[in-house]
Parts: sequence; structure tokens; C-alpha cells
Amino acid sequence: MSYPARLSAIIELFSGLPDAEKRETLIAYADQARMQEPREGEEFDLEDVRKDEECTDTVAIYLKLDASGGCRFRVGLGTRVQTLTRAMSSILCKGLEGSTPAEILEISADFVPRIVGADLVRQRSQTVYYLLNRMKGACRAWLLRERARLSEGGDPVDS
Amino acid sequence: MSIDSSYAHPEALVSTSWMADHLKDGGIRIIESNEDVLLYDVGHIPGAVHIDWQRDLQDHTVRDYITPEGFAALCSRNGITPETTCIFYGDKSNWWSCYALWVFRLFGHTKVKVMDGGRDKWIAEGRPLTREVPSYPVSVYPVPQRRLDTEIRAFYDDALARSKTGGPLVDVRSPGEFSGQVTHMPEYPQEGVLRGGHIPGAKSMPWKEAVNEDATFKSAAELSAIYAGKLGLKKEDGIIAYCRIGERSSHTWFVLHYLLGYPDVRNYDGSWTEWGNRVGAPIERTA
Repeated sequence: MSYPARLSAIIELFSGLPDAEKRETLIAYADQARMQEPREGEEFDLEDVRKDEECTDTVAIYLKLDASGGCRFRVGLGTRVQTLTRAMSSILCKGLEGSTPAEILEISADFVPRIVGADLVRQRSQTVYYLLNRMKGACRAWLLRERARLSEGGDPVDS
Repeated sequence: MSIDSSYAHPEALVSTSWMADHLKDGGIRIIESNEDVLLYDVGHIPGAVHIDWQRDLQDHTVRDYITPEGFAALCSRNGITPETTCIFYGDKSNWWSCYALWVFRLFGHTKVKVMDGGRDKWIAEGRPLTREVPSYPVSVYPVPQRRLDTEIRAFYDDALARSKTGGPLVDVRSPGEFSGQVTHMPEYPQEGVLRGGHIPGAKSMPWKEAVNEDATFKSAAELSAIYAGKLGLKKEDGIIAYCRIGERSSHTWFVLHYLLGYPDVRNYDGSWTEWGNRVGAPIERTA
């Protein structure tokens, strides 16, 4: 499975780390999660803010596409969201930046254990997969909307 | 707020303010146990060690707890001796700290306490956290001769016998899980349970009934009204509590045994992930 270049670099970084450093790096990413929140004045092509029944707190996904069709995600997380999920939000925001919605939909989640480590992928920490699913959901919704728009004669995003 | 002296064992609790004043006491070890696997690394009470409910306490190759030798080694590397008073705290209203405390009791460690209100209350009060991981001299902890598996732990056969005789069996999960309407905890994903419902004859009393908004335990009078009053539990009863994987029922076990003084309370840690999936295990649904 090939991944977008930015995500691939992060996966490679984590894959080579011993467990203790992996934890430290995850904490560093978790610390940066707030930097991935939407900023004052930013506008988005799609906003998906909700608290799902199976989640501890609200997860907000914001998607903006640039002129070449590349994605930029912002993620807002409620205060009760787990540290690992915070780390994953930073990783995914950075790793998926510039990928197209279609590329993101093709990404397999099997990279998660390589980043998080087998010790931390366990019962009660499965929400690390949830964020990728939500981001894919946003991409899927955007693509559907875009197809509908094109079928009505609109111009494609990358024209 | 001070600890309610009406509890059966008020000495089993310490307040956050007491904790803050005794961080450097000799003879104690502050232990953080969380559901959030990285929360300790983000910041913890100064001097606290981390005990991970899966990595440190469980043996997944047999779905059981670590061996007595493993427990002795765990205590040794954290500088704990049989004389050390272990004070547990953590996230989720102390679910996992009660679970870790219960496992310590399983191995016969008697000097155990919980910090009332747990991690959330400590933080809400603006008390200090650190990322510095403490190091304590390795101690000598004798290998426990046995685990208290028959005294404070229940197995499937115990729960089945209780179900058949109609003895006290307390289901501490959410009402939706008890009724069989859902197969997951509120706000959690499905965790691999095939059937929804409860053990026949079990009574529902969600763990949450025992705590206040700030994660502290309710008063002795309030708890008594819930467990003796609403649920009708008697001191002479042998009580079995269960949930999904044994952590919420550890919380209730602590309440019943330490705060209300029920002498015979056991935690069925196999809980619904065993019962709900087991071939031939009868269930009831009310949904």
C-alpha cells in the first residue's frame, strides 16, 4: 500500500522509533492538536461537526480544497477526547495535506498500528481509526457534492 | 471537601487537598491508572508512577492477570513493599484506579486507598502536574503466595450459580446495555460483544449512580439509599458485580466493600465480554 508522501514520511519516522520515543513523539503530536483547529476567519468547503453515539466527545472535521484539488483539514476536538486521538488528528492533518479527496478515500487504515505501536492499539483506544473514517467521510461528501455540481454544468475545482 | 466519616472505611479514601499536602510522604506510592493510555505522559501528580491496566496488570495470552511473580516484580520496580500505602487515582471517575486497586487486593496488598475525585478533580482545582517520571529504588516485594481469586473475584460459573439461585448479581452497566438495546457503552464503540442483554436475575444499578458531578463518591447516606434502599442489598449477602470488562464493576466493588462495608463482594471481571459471547450462556433482554 502506498500512502501520500507526507503521511508516508510520518509513518517512516514512527516505524523506526523504539517504543519510548514513539510515545514521546505521539505526545508531541498531541500537544500540537490545538494548532490544527480552525482559525479566525478561515472558510471551508465542508464542515462536519458532530458527536457520534460511540464517541466520548465532539469531533469537528473542516475541509478546504485548494485550487489544485488538494485537501487541507482542520480538526476540532472536545476536551474529553483521548490523547492518542489528539495525536492522530495532528498526524492526519499534516500527513493528508495536499492529497486529493479521491486519494484519501483509497488510504488503508493499516498504517495506524505502525504509528501508534501494537501496545497502544487496544480496547478502549480504537478511536484512533475513527478520525481517518471521519476525514474520509468528509471527502466522500465533498466528492458527491462536487459531482452533483458538475452534472449541473459547474466548472471543476482544478480548472 | 473532607472525606465522609460515615463511610464504613473512610480511611480508604484521601481527598485531593490531603494528597497535595502529602506528596513527599514516605511510605506511600501515588499510582495513576487511566483508560487514556497516554494521559500519564501528558502530565501527572508529582511523584506518581504509572500502572497500565493492560500492559502491567493483565496477561493477554491467557485472558487473566499477571502471575504472583509478575506482581512482585511490578511492585519492586515501582519501589513498593507490602508496607507501602498505595494511593490510586486516574481518569474516568476513577474506574481504572479502582480496577488497579482491586488487582492489588487480588494479590493480597492491603494498604490501598483511592484519591476521591481522581485526576479530573485534581486538575479542576488547578493543582500541579508534571511530566517528570519519578524513579524509586527497587524494593523487595515477596512473591504473594496466592491470588484472592475466590474471595474478591467471581468467574463465569460463580455468576451462573448466582443467576440460578437468584442471589445478588449487580449489573453496573448503562441502562441501554442492561436492557439489550445496545451492545456498546454510551460514547464508546462496539467492543466485540455478540449479544445484548444481561445475566438472568441481575439487577441494574449503573456505576454512575455512585458518583457526584465532580467524580467524587456520593456520601455514605446517599450510597446506602441506592444500594441498600433501591437495590435491597443486605450485609449478609454475597454480592457479585459485573460490567463489560470489569473496570466499572471494580468501581462498584470499591463502593460496596470499602464505602458501605459489605463484607462479601466479588468482581466478575470476565463480565459481559465473556457472558455475552459465551456459547450456551443464557441471557435476558428487556428491550
